[in-house]
Amino acid sequence: MRIFLLLRLKKKNLLKLKNRDGNIKKEEEYMPKILAFLCNWCSYAGADLAGTSRLKYPPSILPIRVMCSSRVDPLFVLRAYLGGADGVLVAGCHPGDCHYEKGNYYTRRRFAMFKKIIEDVGLESDRLRLSWISASEGHRYAKVATEFTEKIKKLGKSSAKSEIFL
Amino acid sequence: MSKSKDNSDGKAAVISAKAGVKESIIDFLKKAMDKGVFDAVLIPMRVPAGDSFAYVLIKDKTLLKDGVPLSPIMSVQGAKAVSSVTRLGKGKMKIAAVMRPCEIRATIELSKLGQTDLENTTLISMDCPGVLPMSDFLIDPEKNIKIFNEAVQKWDDAIMRPVCQICDKSSMIAGDIHIGTLGAKKDTFFIISNSQKGNDVMDKLDIVLKDSIDSWQAKVKNITEEKHKKREKNLKDLKSKIGGLDNLLDTFSQCINCHNCMKACPICYCRLCYFDSDKVKHPSEDYLQRAEIKGSIRFLPDTTLFQMGRMMHMSLSCVSCGACEDACPMSIPVAQIFSMIADEIQGLFDYVSGRDLDEPVPLVAYKEEELHEVEDAND
Amino acid sequence: MTKALKINKSAEQGVIEFLKALLENGKVKGVFALKKISNDGAVAYSLITKPNELDNAVPFYPLMPVNAGKLLSRFTLKGSSIGPVAAVVKPCELRAFIELVKREQGSLENLFFISSTCGGVYPLKMSVNGTVEKNLTKYWDAVKKGEISADLRSACKGCTEFMPYTADVTFDLIGNNDPDKQCVVFLNTKKGEEFAKGMKGEFLKKELDRKKLDKFKSKREVEKKKLFDEIDAKMNGMDGLIDIFGRCIGCHGCMRVCPICYCKLCEFESPDSEYKPSNYESDLKKRGGVRVPPGTIYYQLGRLTHIGISCVGCGACDDVCPVDIPVSIIFKKVGESVQKMFDYIPGRDVDEDIPLITFEKEEFAEIEE
Repeated sequence: MRIFLLLRLKKKNLLKLKNRDGNIKKEEEYMPKILAFLCNWCSYAGADLAGTSRLKYPPSILPIRVMCSSRVDPLFVLRAYLGGADGVLVAGCHPGDCHYEKGNYYTRRRFAMFKKIIEDVGLESDRLRLSWISASEGHRYAKVATEFTEKIKKLGKSSAKSEIFL
Repeated sequence: MSKSKDNSDGKAAVISAKAGVKESIIDFLKKAMDKGVFDAVLIPMRVPAGDSFAYVLIKDKTLLKDGVPLSPIMSVQGAKAVSSVTRLGKGKMKIAAVMRPCEIRATIELSKLGQTDLENTTLISMDCPGVLPMSDFLIDPEKNIKIFNEAVQKWDDAIMRPVCQICDKSSMIAGDIHIGTLGAKKDTFFIISNSQKGNDVMDKLDIVLKDSIDSWQAKVKNITEEKHKKREKNLKDLKSKIGGLDNLLDTFSQCINCHNCMKACPICYCRLCYFDSDKVKHPSEDYLQRAEIKGSIRFLPDTTLFQMGRMMHMSLSCVSCGACEDACPMSIPVAQIFSMIADEIQGLFDYVSGRDLDEPVPLVAYKEEELHEVEDAND
Repeated sequence: MTKALKINKSAEQGVIEFLKALLENGKVKGVFALKKISNDGAVAYSLITKPNELDNAVPFYPLMPVNAGKLLSRFTLKGSSIGPVAAVVKPCELRAFIELVKREQGSLENLFFISSTCGGVYPLKMSVNGTVEKNLTKYWDAVKKGEISADLRSACKGCTEFMPYTADVTFDLIGNNDPDKQCVVFLNTKKGEEFAKGMKGEFLKKELDRKKLDKFKSKREVEKKKLFDEIDAKMNGMDGLIDIFGRCIGCHGCMRVCPICYCKLCEFESPDSEYKPSNYESDLKKRGGVRVPPGTIYYQLGRLTHIGISCVGCGACDDVCPVDIPVSIIFKKVGESVQKMFDYIPGRDVDEDIPLITFEKEEFAEIEE
């Protein structure tokens, strides 16, 4: 009887180690932390749609809602980058569709400049991404999140995380 | 912190330093962190490139072994570092700050000025032989670290900054704990407590304060007297060199108004300095009018106004640390000049900056009967 | 063909005569130029109203104690110049002033600009012990031959914008065969022609010798490439940046002397950038140790982001740095790279918008993924 109970307990414990798909989980895989600035009217709504449509994408994205992608000060991205974020995504409406008419045009220039600066000082500019995602593009959001996470995983953890002399 | 700058109560302990003074100090700090006396230590460390030193707030004990209690240069004045950590409040961490006497004194002045909250901070000072001039150090950092360490062994200040060579407060105790290396027997140093906070730390670390510091005091007195003599002579020479309007203007003629001195100074804490504010920004007609009166004015004018104005604003709290002179790109001897003025005006009020946390800065206090000699009395 | 004036004097003497005449004829109320201001030969910009005070002016002295663009901005910050003022400035100083005017930090009205094809300046450290004075002959010799002096400011050695864009009058200093006896002054604008009327010399129609200047430009390009490559080798990843900026003591001198940095309260000195105790606590949890004061790299890259687009490469930042960080080369390199993206040259034209406040509907498609 006791041996039977012990075996049942062992099975329970084994079950706990299985993930949803029924495969035995390996050691914790590196899940990057990607800060995403999403504009309220388009890309945040798109992200919402991805959620309500139950689309799957990695749990790497930390969303921050801003009213317009042009609210994103390059210093926000710089702080995130130096703060140890593995990746930073800036997403807004498609050019021409900005809720405030011209915001995303400025975003595009600012982002282009900032990415160039990061590249020129020898840092990994691939950790920065600009994407246009509209409110109806739930699939696109999931795709961007998945692709970007894959790319960041290949780049590895950000070295800024452990720096003392920043 | 109590008033005395030389602790005659003998509240000290002799600590063994067989592994070396630096290593023993680090060991002391590590033990303190182990026992939870401190949560973090603020101490200089060599930067990764090896060509400078910077203050680091250390929580991970494994980093302590790279701490350098007596760094060869003063890159950032320690008081600025303490203020950066505690200006907006004391925080939850108990911090030990290991700095030079002038940095401790500046921290105390900043506390009086509301720029740092010292409740959770323990200030630890040590006997200071001076620091190398920044520009000299940068010529060959590796070599100069060696030269500095050798000079410390012999307590030889010939290579130190001019303002350090005339410092007669290089062993002044103003913080909670002081590490006395002078006059100590071989392979030992004194650890002196100067406040209740210091006593509490010693208690928690089971360090009994029963030893006499007579030999430390004697050696310090000796060195201080020598330095004082040198100080009087050098400052007298300096006064004759820069005294008088012509000499003063010549001294500051190279000044480019970069305000590095003001920024490096621990006492200058104003977010917007008066001399950067709208008060000194005038319309073109004012400048042209001035130019017309004299035929020609330097543009921007008022360099001497900035220098003397800054003197007036901060000299009462000046600790003669010399950060200003290191930062000056035009090699103007600002530290020596300001130090000379600071001595004189602090002397007016019998005030020594940073000596005592409870002693108010002279301009916020008064006595009803004093300084009659400056009044225009009709006797 | 541009109108030009050939003066039978050295450039330094010629420009002083020019300025004296402007003052004496009442064409200007004041003159802004470098002048010897002390008994030991210290040189600083001065606002001069009496002609005889120009006797010890040294308008083309190879020194830049402060970027004159910043000074002109201060002069016209509270309103345009109350009367006509002539300013002798170097090309980068003029460009810096134009950039500041675009940002409403100054006014061009009533200002008359005299500039030159610029041979560069010496680092300020050299003026501290009188070395500049000793090197003057060597300096002018190199300028005459169209060569680059070895001890110039790094930013000057690699400067390819030594030709002023918007000066009313340009003294052609580079490659001048007889610098002690004669010089040619190009009158670029109507104002320039007007002010030159009645000057002693031969008026002629002449073009700038492009070949000579292009030859000089290519020498400068070679130096620039050397400097940029040198810094590139060091900027490899976060570690490279930490090495380069490790010595930084946070004095912000670079920001203070930069002509483009005009903010009354810099973002990096404001409460926004201040660490609260909770920031320290969370950072310490993450990293185990934090440099104090924090934010060195954040400040440097942040300032680069803010002003890179308008950096004129004057090199004032290098000279003021107490720990000799090659700030000017980093800012110049990244600045030029960013400016190239928009085909922008800071200070070329006051009507040309700063690239970040304007846009094209179709551009940079490759940036978006």
